[in-house]
Amino acid sequence: MNTLHLILFSAVCIAVSILFYALGQALHHRWRGIPPIVAASLPIVALLLIFRFPYNKYNQGSDALTWLLGPATVGLAVPMYRNGKALRRSLPMLALIVLIGSVVGMVTAGGTAWLLGAPLPVIMSTVPKSVTTPIAIEVCRELKGIPQITIALVILAGVLGASFGVPLLRLVGVREDRAVGAAIGSASHGVGTASLVRRSEMQASVSGWAMAASGIFTSLLAALLKLFLH
Amino acid sequence: MMEYLTGFAILIAFFLFGSFLHKLGVPIPGGVLGLMLFFLAMQVGAVKLKWVERTASLLLRHMVLLFVPLTVGLMEMGPLFSKQAVAITASLLVSVTAVMLTIGLLGHWLLPAEPASKTETKIAEAGQ
Repeated sequence: MNTLHLILFSAVCIAVSILFYALGQALHHRWRGIPPIVAASLPIVALLLIFRFPYNKYNQGSDALTWLLGPATVGLAVPMYRNGKALRRSLPMLALIVLIGSVVGMVTAGGTAWLLGAPLPVIMSTVPKSVTTPIAIEVCRELKGIPQITIALVILAGVLGASFGVPLLRLVGVREDRAVGAAIGSASHGVGTASLVRRSEMQASVSGWAMAASGIFTSLLAALLKLFLH
Repeated sequence: MMEYLTGFAILIAFFLFGSFLHKLGVPIPGGVLGLMLFFLAMQVGAVKLKWVERTASLLLRHMVLLFVPLTVGLMEMGPLFSKQAVAITASLLVSVTAVMLTIGLLGHWLLPAEPASKTETKIAEAGQ
């Protein structure tokens, strides 16, 4: 293919992705239970299968979209900065707690997969599963995991935390706004944070902050893990 | 429109700089390095929140679109998933519960009381 073809082909891939994303959003507004990512991706999978079109080509064509995850990650600093201002005095302690939680998340995820005999790339794909998708993908690549597995786990971690996080915390007597926010933001990133928005401003703020902070901590810890593995 | 473009240029610049540092050997992903540097830049006042606010919330709001191409790749993961289903599911459940309880309980026991804050807290944006 020459350059013009490549550009046209990319434009088509991106247009198709945007189209199904928009449809997915519409479906999600109608039926809250359908996660937008599922509603957007499934029809594309079906299309590729029907037309026997190789996934690799579609993925290369949509490269520009995936690339934008980089600037979007940088953009996470905005809610972190904004929400950090509201937390003030509790910030150092919150940071420490989220750091401990990040260690626990990585160790328990990787450890469980390892105990159950998963191969190394699968273990590494589970390690970053608590953090927000763009960071999880980058960490997964650093650790030589399989990004698709990480993405699936990240989405499920989000949905689980958004659905059962608050009841689970209630069960053990945790109701304080900052504790609930930090727990849900660290375990279930943006999906969890979004679920708190209608409950409490404080919970959602802390959750947004914890989501970004645990992403940073997990990247730093993964760098250490990588050094250790070498 | 101009506002979006300026914000976009700033975010891309930080991302590229982070990626550059990563290439030089810093063992942290470029996006995360960019995020940290950008956060610092806002803390010291080198970058104003209002320059990037709109672009960032646009990107975060539609972040789901950005991982559609990778998610579609799950279609080729079927065999691997069915073989590793137990390990993957167990790892997910154990880890989500562990993180939730650790942070929730530590927060419950350790967080200092916050003086009633007068500033309005803004709602966090949701990025997945």
